[in-house]
Amino acid sequence: MTKARLARAARCALMTGMFFYGAGALPALAGDADAGKDVFKQECSECHSPKEGKNKKGPSLFGIVGRNAGSISDYNYSDALKNAKWVWTEDKLHWYLSQPAKQANPGTKMKYSGLNDAKQLDDLISYLQSNH
Amino acid sequence: MSPSLTRILRRAAYAPWVLLIACLMLASNGAHAVPAYARQTGNACADCHAGAYGPALTPYGMRFKLNGYTDTDGQGTKIPVAAQITGAHNVPARGDNTTQLSEVDVYLAGRISDHLGGFVKVETDNTGNDHYNTKLSNLDLRFVAKDLKVAGKDTVVGVSVNNSPGFDDPISSLPYASGLGPPAVSGTLLNLSSAHSLYNKVIGGSVYALYNNDWYGEVGTYNTMPTSVQDHLGFNPAGDPGHISDTGYFRFAYMKDMKRQFFSAGVVALTTKRALPRNGPSDDITDLGYDLTYQFLGNRDNIIQASYVNILEQRDYGSTPVVNGVMAKPNGNARDQTLSVTYTFKQSYALQVAHLISTGSQDPVRYPPFGKPDSTANMITLYWTPFGKDDSFTSLANLKLAATWYRYTRFNGASDNIFGAPPGALLITNAKDLDAFTLSASVAF
Repeated sequence: MTKARLARAARCALMTGMFFYGAGALPALAGDADAGKDVFKQECSECHSPKEGKNKKGPSLFGIVGRNAGSISDYNYSDALKNAKWVWTEDKLHWYLSQPAKQANPGTKMKYSGLNDAKQLDDLISYLQSNH
Repeated sequence: MSPSLTRILRRAAYAPWVLLIACLMLASNGAHAVPAYARQTGNACADCHAGAYGPALTPYGMRFKLNGYTDTDGQGTKIPVAAQITGAHNVPARGDNTTQLSEVDVYLAGRISDHLGGFVKVETDNTGNDHYNTKLSNLDLRFVAKDLKVAGKDTVVGVSVNNSPGFDDPISSLPYASGLGPPAVSGTLLNLSSAHSLYNKVIGGSVYALYNNDWYGEVGTYNTMPTSVQDHLGFNPAGDPGHISDTGYFRFAYMKDMKRQFFSAGVVALTTKRALPRNGPSDDITDLGYDLTYQFLGNRDNIIQASYVNILEQRDYGSTPVVNGVMAKPNGNARDQTLSVTYTFKQSYALQVAHLISTGSQDPVRYPPFGKPDSTANMITLYWTPFGKDDSFTSLANLKLAATWYRYTRFNGASDNIFGAPPGALLITNAKDLDAFTLSASVAF
């Protein structure tokens, strides 16, 4: 009896361990938009404004998620981004921001070395998703 | 002793306030926030300056300066003109309080093309009793080649024509760039508070490069402007730095921007031959210095900026005058040190504390009456800048309300009776008598 209980407990512990081990390998969960606002300040805000219609060295990022690349009419994009026929989905932003901008879009004016902290990247994209 | 130094000390002995006012003006003359740049780039003042008002730069502001002031939001040509007006209420420890319009500045600042840009400041100072003097203060014209690749790494190469070696420095911790130098009797040539500083009175240029965003190097040369030109540009010929020749300026620094933090370590050198007065023999002068800077930026709500600058000047004098049977030493040195720490909250409220030390080798002839030129002072500033942020009433202009306390613990080699008044003299000046408190309001637009 005692052996059976111990065996069940061992299986349970093993499964629990496998669950947490597996969770680490899963895609990151949705980020924290509030934390992402801080990431935006540290990574993006010098060149981009979150306000609608406010361009800096880079275009406004208001409503960026779901927007066509190179589509703000009063911003002077590089040819590289004008010709980029993609939509800024969360996945696309994740891909684009996780590497140097000039690698993702050769010829772009954007000088950004990329964000390699997965949590910060998720938080940032959650913030961008919320900013519309 | 050089005749000009004799003149200064003699004047200081009878009217120390002349010296005091000069020191205070030099120490406080540090505002380089230029709303014309904000209009040109679409950036808020706070993107380039932690407290939304200069002169200390954020790493982003450093890159803007390195890029020759040419970055833009691409929204057409903007008028490259800005202005700053400053009023101040001064409360010296000794002497009369004053409330006056103290300074009006006009800036021509901005880009001419993708490769040409500049910063020109024309400054009008209230010299007392509502008499005003206008001068060409700062000049920095640049040509820059961006987006170069050297060994596969991003590289920026530029040329700067300017009137103060080090003013063009991106890190902005050197005295000419920070606007902060110890009040000095015998300061280095690179200290803007020195009596015969080169600040704004030379013309020259340098070639600089930034490699891989981290390594900065600069080589330049300068000549003093003729006294007649200095006069025309609004400078008192009494502050002539003399004739300088064979001048070399060298700067090398490592700077690391880690987004949430910034660190830099640099060295600076200046070598020149100086004839002061201009028809006199030449002194061989070499300045060697180093500087360390650290910034914690985080999410920009709590920013700490700290810097330390140490510059040693070695002099081989061209003459050894004899006074009262004592011969001046044939060589000597001076050292200027500045430690500054600034905390900024919400890019609006800031406290800056600076410890300023100027020392020099002993020379009873050159530095009467005590033979030591040493001075020690502190500057403590509390200020509020309500605008100049993306989410403030306006991001393109600003107001700065500041309370500043200048505290002297040593001057002219002494803490008490700093000008060596004879026993029984009616007026004895101690170092703390040079203390002053200032309330100021500046608006930049």
